Amino acid sequence: MAARLDGKAAIPGQDRRRKFVLELKATSGYKSEAKLELRTMLDRLSSLSMDLKSMHAVLLGFSSPTAFTTKTTASRKKLQLAATAPKLRPGLLDMQVLLARLSTLVDADSEADSCVLVDESIETVAAILRVVLIRDLISGGCRDSISEASKQLRKSSGDTCMETNHTLPGGHTALNWKMAKTVVPQRAGQKRKVVEVAQVEAEEGNGQLEIGALNGEFEGDGEGEDVVSEDDSDEGVDEYDEEDDEEGVEDDDDELASDEIPSSEEGEEDVRQQLRDLKTSNGHSEPAQSLMGSDTAKAVAVIASDTPVKPFVDDDAADMPNYTITTDANGNPRYIYGEIDPVYDSDDSDAAIPGNTIGNIPLSYYDAYPHIGYDINGRCIARPAKGEALDSLLDSIDIPEGWTGLTDPATGKPLELTAEQLETLKKLTRNETPGDGYDPYPDMVEWFTGKGKEEVMPLSGAPEPKRRFVPSMHEHKRVLKMVKAIREGRIKPYRAPTEEDREREEAEHDFATYDVWATEQSRPDHVMNIPAPKLPPPGYEESYHPPPEYLPDDVERQTWEEQDEEDRDRDFLPRDHAALRKVPGYEQFVKEKFERCLDLYLAPRVRRSKLNIDPESLLPKLPDPAELKPFPTTCTTICRGHEGKVRSISIDPSGKWIGSGGDDGTVRVWDILTGRQLWKIKLSKEEAVNVVSWRPGPVETCILVACCGETIYFLLPQNDLCTPETEAKSRDLLDAGYGYAATAPAPAKTSTGATKPSLSSWTRPPTPLQDRGCLLTLTLHTTPKTLAWHRRGDYFSTVSPSATAVSTAIAIHTLSKHQTQHPRLRLRGLAQTTCFHPLKPLFFVATKTKVRIYDLQAQRLEKELLPGAKWISSISLHPQGSNLLVASYDKRLLWHDLELGATPYKVIRHHSKAVRAVAFHMGGLPLLADGSDDGTLHVLHGKVVGDLMVNAAVVPLRVLRGHAVVGSLGVLGVEWHGREAWCVSCGADGTVRVWT
Amino acid sequence: MGKIKKKGTSGNAKNYITRSQAVRKLQIPLPDFRRLCIFKGIYPREPRSKKRASKSSTPSTTFYYTKDIQYLLHEPLLEKFRDQKALAKKISKALGRNEVSDAARLERNLTPRIRLDHIIKERYPTFVDALRDMDDALSMLFLFANLPSTENVPPKAVAKCQRLTLEFEHYLIRTHSLRKSFLSIKGIYYQATIQGQDVLWLVPYRFVQRAGTDIDFRIMATFVEFYTTLLSFVNFRLYTSIGLVYPPKLDAKSEESGAELSAFQLENQGNAGQAEVAEALDTEMHSKAQAEADRLLSLPEAEAGTAETGDVQAEALTAGDEPTAVDEPASTTLDQFTSLDPNADTLLQPSLTADVYTASQLFESFTVFLSRETPRHPLEFILRAFGCKRVGWDTSLGEPGAYCSEDDMRITHQIVDRPDIPLPSPPLTDGGLDTDDEDGPAVARKTNERIPGRIYVQPQWVWDSVNAGQLQRADLYAPGATLPPHLSPWVKPKKGGYDPTVPLAEQETAAEAEADSEEDELEADEALEEASDGEEIEGVRGDEEARELEDEVIVDDGMDVELAASDDDEEDDILDTKAGAGIDEWGGFSGDEAGDVDESTREARAHQAELEAEALGHMPQSGKNDAKKQAREAAQSKRTKAEREALEDVERRKLMMPRRKRKMFEKMVYSNAKKDEEAERLRAKKRKIEKQGGKPKAG
Repeated sequence: MAARLDGKAAIPGQDRRRKFVLELKATSGYKSEAKLELRTMLDRLSSLSMDLKSMHAVLLGFSSPTAFTTKTTASRKKLQLAATAPKLRPGLLDMQVLLARLSTLVDADSEADSCVLVDESIETVAAILRVVLIRDLISGGCRDSISEASKQLRKSSGDTCMETNHTLPGGHTALNWKMAKTVVPQRAGQKRKVVEVAQVEAEEGNGQLEIGALNGEFEGDGEGEDVVSEDDSDEGVDEYDEEDDEEGVEDDDDELASDEIPSSEEGEEDVRQQLRDLKTSNGHSEPAQSLMGSDTAKAVAVIASDTPVKPFVDDDAADMPNYTITTDANGNPRYIYGEIDPVYDSDDSDAAIPGNTIGNIPLSYYDAYPHIGYDINGRCIARPAKGEALDSLLDSIDIPEGWTGLTDPATGKPLELTAEQLETLKKLTRNETPGDGYDPYPDMVEWFTGKGKEEVMPLSGAPEPKRRFVPSMHEHKRVLKMVKAIREGRIKPYRAPTEEDREREEAEHDFATYDVWATEQSRPDHVMNIPAPKLPPPGYEESYHPPPEYLPDDVERQTWEEQDEEDRDRDFLPRDHAALRKVPGYEQFVKEKFERCLDLYLAPRVRRSKLNIDPESLLPKLPDPAELKPFPTTCTTICRGHEGKVRSISIDPSGKWIGSGGDDGTVRVWDILTGRQLWKIKLSKEEAVNVVSWRPGPVETCILVACCGETIYFLLPQNDLCTPETEAKSRDLLDAGYGYAATAPAPAKTSTGATKPSLSSWTRPPTPLQDRGCLLTLTLHTTPKTLAWHRRGDYFSTVSPSATAVSTAIAIHTLSKHQTQHPRLRLRGLAQTTCFHPLKPLFFVATKTKVRIYDLQAQRLEKELLPGAKWISSISLHPQGSNLLVASYDKRLLWHDLELGATPYKVIRHHSKAVRAVAFHMGGLPLLADGSDDGTLHVLHGKVVGDLMVNAAVVPLRVLRGHAVVGSLGVLGVEWHGREAWCVSCGADGTVRVWT
Repeated sequence: MGKIKKKGTSGNAKNYITRSQAVRKLQIPLPDFRRLCIFKGIYPREPRSKKRASKSSTPSTTFYYTKDIQYLLHEPLLEKFRDQKALAKKISKALGRNEVSDAARLERNLTPRIRLDHIIKERYPTFVDALRDMDDALSMLFLFANLPSTENVPPKAVAKCQRLTLEFEHYLIRTHSLRKSFLSIKGIYYQATIQGQDVLWLVPYRFVQRAGTDIDFRIMATFVEFYTTLLSFVNFRLYTSIGLVYPPKLDAKSEESGAELSAFQLENQGNAGQAEVAEALDTEMHSKAQAEADRLLSLPEAEAGTAETGDVQAEALTAGDEPTAVDEPASTTLDQFTSLDPNADTLLQPSLTADVYTASQLFESFTVFLSRETPRHPLEFILRAFGCKRVGWDTSLGEPGAYCSEDDMRITHQIVDRPDIPLPSPPLTDGGLDTDDEDGPAVARKTNERIPGRIYVQPQWVWDSVNAGQLQRADLYAPGATLPPHLSPWVKPKKGGYDPTVPLAEQETAAEAEADSEEDELEADEALEEASDGEEIEGVRGDEEARELEDEVIVDDGMDVELAASDDDEEDDILDTKAGAGIDEWGGFSGDEAGDVDESTREARAHQAELEAEALGHMPQSGKNDAKKQAREAAQSKRTKAEREALEDVERRKLMMPRRKRKMFEKMVYSNAKKDEEAERLRAKKRKIEKQGGKPKAG
């Protein structure tokens, strides 16, 4: 029974508080008009007292001597603990001091010295803290030794408690009594129970308690409280005098260890609130503190007293005792409490009585217990039958009425609903009125204006104005006006329009009744106004009986039918009908009109000017080629013999022979008229002959220069090609340089004094080569790709377009001195080709995209031309030196008039492939030719007039076809005969062709 | 340095907005925007640079001119659209509450009346502007007038279209403004000239029109709504301009019974009270014309082709003599503008077809009866538009408005579309026309027999006469006859293009002609080789010639092989075409006959020579053939050489053209070549047809 009562302490804070209040209400002194302040104070007080109580329970636990001795295991522990008892001496002393202070505090309260109280209460709290620490120590294993000391403590403090209670001021007496009443019986129960558990905890509860200590100041209290609650629950089921059951208890403890933390938090929160209240030392908190102070003292006093209650009962007659005292088995008094009759008329108890009073905690907390909570009397509420029991029940009976299959979360019982309730729920889910009797539109109750409920006091005391009773003059005037208008017929009374009216109106709407263009004014057409194009008128093929040639034959019909509708060039097939009566309806008519509609408003419109002219008029007028004769028209001679590409050709200044060199490393001389090979020399086995060029000049010589690899060979063709005089002259010319070279000054020295390595060497070739006609060689360190002679025949320039030696790419050689110079030209980009101006000391250098003109005498840049080509292939200067032709790999031929500017005067794009070579006729005929990779030569008439005002005229004359395209290479070189209108070309197909 | 211009603030970026932007700006739903665009005639544009116009990276399809949309913001129709939307909400709310009568009342009283008058005025500031844009309007309204009413096409709209189009036709009849018409497989094209503006429209044949599922009638209805407003204003203006009251009175009863044109009563503005029935004719005029017609019919040699009568005005001009060509009154004929320089630009030639005068005179003197199987409305319209005042038709085509019944002896022409109509059986009374006039109906006549004293023609005769501006030979259009091809009057002959009215020989290029003759010769050669057995082989002759020979002259011999066939052919063709072209002018066969006679004699001579050669035992053909072949080859090579040279020359000149010009030139050459190819194809077909046509006849 006592255990049951103790269980109350386990009820979490909220319920506890409520219960306290309820009890308060039950007392005679408690009236509904009780002050709110008092209630809140009581609230705080109660929570604090609970905490103190639990702490006290711990203290009590190790000071209780009774049950302790009966247990064998406990006695063993006791022996161990006794050894550690001396260690706890200081703690005990502290405890004693604390209790003494508490008692004095109560005294102070009675004296109502508030200032002292505040300080004291703070100290008290600090002391309590220390107690907690001590308790922890105790829980560490020395409870037993402490218990002795605590017994003495109790004895000494017992008297003071009695006194305190007597001295409490009258207003609070009843409350304190009550508290005492509730607290004391618990104590009685706890005494035994906690002792039991303490044995277990000595071993296992350590960690748990430590956690509690770490968590904060007052948490320990919560823990203690929880310890109590655990034990209570144990006792609800087990008989505690059976030792065997202890194992089970231990298990339960283990399981609950983790579950306890949340429940303790509430208590902790409460205590924190208390602390806060304590620390704020304003006037308001003072009574609470005083109350608390007294309460604390009282509680401590209760701890010490074994039988504290009896005298109080007698003391206050108004407080009816609710219990009977009997003697239990040990001879101790046992309190048997009657049923508590809660008076549910306070605002607290508006809610329905819950079936379970565990409060706002999940039911799962009770999973480990056979019960699921406690009723108001503190009795366990049994867990409803489940599982097998329920199954058997279900087997035995039918599904009960109102069975829902649900479980009431509060009670754990199956949730049963009556048919009415179900119906209500159903209606609610359908958004209907909840019941049959529900009236959504109840009669209005005139609370303020109804009969007998009229408002006694009007809102305004002003009397009704006169205008409320006298007709308005202005309104009267207006009405009179209207009346007049109606009489005169100006206003017609409204008459609903009849069908006829409506029809008439519609008819008026349908047909024009006036001329929109009565005052028409033409508007000038705007540029942005684009009228829709009219549909073209029908043609012959649309006729119902067209001429037979317009009818499609089978092939046309088939292709038309197979075509997609969008692809058809007309949307119908012409058909022939012998007579008008046989013409069927046109199926696509509506569709066509619909598409026209779509076109009208959806098709974007744009103005397009359409040229309706004869295309011939676009062609430029050119003079007839017949008037521009002579020019080469046909291929007269083909010289075959070279293996592989013929890279270069040159016509002898006398105009009799053609020199050619190609990939096979040979240089050959051909007769221009017959195409017969006159002479041949093989210069190299691997390297190709890149350039072949006859030396020009006023002195008649017969020197052929050929570049093969890095060497330039000066050849004197044999086979009696030249007369002995010319041969002698040529030899002299070539040899003249040797003497000069011998007498020449020493090569330039570098700053260090070392001789600069010569970049070129003029040498006499070995005798076998000399015998075959090669008289002189010039070796460079780079491979020359082009060679250009000065008009006089003494200078020639070579270009070796290699990226490694940019500074030595261009070289100017002096034949008579056997000298090589590298002019310092600041070129951007690779040099491609060069040429000399025929009359002036100008030197033309073509890089990839530009042509630069240098004055060799003044040693400066004269001009720069920008042809706009991406890659220049070759250039050719007009014999008068005023016009330059630039051929480029990007298919263009560019005509530069040097007097006009940097950009070309004319761009001619007429080749489909790169243009490789271009040449002016040097002998005075206004002809030029270019050869391209597409295998054609174009002969153009390019007349340069001396007059500055007249631009040069360019007329294409003839396309010469004949060269085959080999490996995407066509014509590689073009050369004009010196006097005749003959043109010679060489190509990748290994032929040299003469065009006349 | 000037201020840096911000991107997207001027030019294309500002001038054009996309459709969605426009819709957002106007704050109307897309269907309303569509309607608004149709009404206001706003159309998307193609910006010069789409990239600059669109602000987003995704390519937008449609751009509108920003100012167009800007103007739309002030459009009164927008307000109406919004009213309509509000009303629709109200009605749907009422219907949702099951308040049908409320909904009906709302619809009746609150429906906003959309008037498009201001839009007409705005889009067409002058009347001529409106006329210029009538093509689509008329085509559309004529289509809707012929549509069956469905849920998409309310009967009211159809009725309105019918009425408006008939009013318009009445105006054309009144003013004789119709100029050309063409029977196509799609429908009938008409062209009228009103105040100097040519209006061309298409009227479908009277069949149930097939409307596919992909046709959105809402769009078409919007167009029709606009077009009806436009046409009603145009009609108003046209009617008032000739002093008529608009709208004309419509006789509902006769309209229901199918009197299409004659259901209207046109009123003069001056005497509004006195109704003038459109078809009611001036009695005096009527009798005069009838007398004229009778006189013509009574002529012994009733030649249909020259059945032209001078009427009151014409008689004054022509000095008593029978007018041979009525279409040349001195006052109204147009001069031909031909330039002497063949290279000069072709001037815009004035239309050859009817002017007002011819149009009003063409059928004036005739009384025409339409047979049951002919399309009544188009015929009635076109006949009346070209001056015919008396048109009768079979009762099955609609009772009211017919001038006379079939038996009426005043009828000069009957238009039939039947295979053939037998001649009247002998026992029929061959009484004079005068007697017929009196007791004509009493005479028992077998149905489906010709009634003497009138000309039976097929409908195409009317159209061809109208397009030619003069009456065509009726015998070519007799019932059962093979009709000459019906040609579109709008096709202008182009240089190098194919013209079916001109004989092949005149228009084919030299190359084609040569290739053709070569082919002929080859064929002839083959035939000759085959003919070594002595068999007779079909000749190669132009079918035209053959046909006409058959018609006119009976060729004595069989068709022997002719060596000079090709030459003959060409000559024949030329002669033939001359003859063919002359038919209309000469009005008889005399020229033809003469030509044919010459031809036959010459042929006979050639044949004779051939026979002689054969008799002598020579084989002259072979030697001749070789020589010919060589000559031909030489000619061919010469031609190809010349062609090549010309081509080279063009290439040469092209080199000196700037690139842009060159591309343009190439484009033009390409399109010209395509046209030439088309013409060549047609010519080749024609040649083939001529040859095929010749063979079976000869055989």
